[in-house]
Amino acid sequence: MEISAIRLEALKEIGNIGSGHAATSLSKLLQARIDMSVPKVWLVPLEKLGEALGEYDTVQVALYLKVEGDAPGKAIFVLPIESARVIAQKLLSLPERPDIFSDEMAQSALQEVGNILVSSFIIALSKFSGVLLHPSIPAMAIDMVGAIIDGVLLEEGIIDDDVLIIDTKLSGVKEVEGKFFFIPSKGSLDKLLGVFGI
Amino acid sequence: MSKTIIVGMADYKVDKAPDKLMTAGLGSCIGVCVYDSLSQIGGMAHIMLPNSLESLQGNPMKYADTCLAMMLEEMFRLGVIKSRLKAKMAGGAQMFSFGNKAPLLKIGERNAQSVEQELKKAGIPLLVHDVGGNFGRTITFDIQSGDLHVRTINHGEKVI
Repeated sequence: MEISAIRLEALKEIGNIGSGHAATSLSKLLQARIDMSVPKVWLVPLEKLGEALGEYDTVQVALYLKVEGDAPGKAIFVLPIESARVIAQKLLSLPERPDIFSDEMAQSALQEVGNILVSSFIIALSKFSGVLLHPSIPAMAIDMVGAIIDGVLLEEGIIDDDVLIIDTKLSGVKEVEGKFFFIPSKGSLDKLLGVFGI
Repeated sequence: MSKTIIVGMADYKVDKAPDKLMTAGLGSCIGVCVYDSLSQIGGMAHIMLPNSLESLQGNPMKYADTCLAMMLEEMFRLGVIKSRLKAKMAGGAQMFSFGNKAPLLKIGERNAQSVEQELKKAGIPLLVHDVGGNFGRTITFDIQSGDLHVRTINHGEKVI
């Protein structure tokens, strides 16, 4: 797969718009300021995924939603365990940080966060590019980064040697940080970029 | 001195004792180890998909059949004896589930079946395996002892 420089630039813009909306929703939800980085658009070879996404061995919380509709893809919000605990504590107004491995309320609060983030990302994308998109229900995993990545990427039983990733860092409240990834499916690029005429 | 060699996604490594082979964060992927305890040579492959025939494109080390064949070829070149080879594997989880919807393709399960089949075809006994579940695994293989160490986040650790 090869992508022209102008297409990469346009994808960055799409990432910017989508992630901006996602960051705004997260900041409303947590009633705190959330900053986002300028999105990176990567075409990552399989064997370099680890370098791009973090050590395969580190444990993170992943909220994964499929984006369905005219330009399908995958959206994943990945955050460190402590960040997930802080967010769940805030949302549920708990006196202490919950154990997200066992606390079902905390887990469902986090799934809702995934839902809201991805929905706002998708709505922005839909409005902007005119394609019809809708999110699946969220799935959650607390596990090694590598296992999360292959679980997401291999679901359909095919994979290219390179994976296109739009990646934005969200941070703000003390101890809260996360990464938001959008991975458009192969045929989706033309639709998403149609609005640019490229 | 013993080193630990890291095997990346869609890759394999062949090495000699006392070195160890390690691959981190297996989800639906399979880590398969083949070794000859007499010549103290072992290989580990990190396999992503079941079969190259369904979708052969790009890196052949993504697929169970082609990756295993390449690894065995390299091991034979180093002098392992086929009849002495044994195998162990781990991985093949189903990481995500969306509510009650059953996944379309249980890719982890199919990966495990495919590796098992390919080993059978090659006439290599699969001594033991730790597959399935909905959690990731990091595995380390000790070529010298033939021990496969399987670590998980919330589902314990074991040596198989």
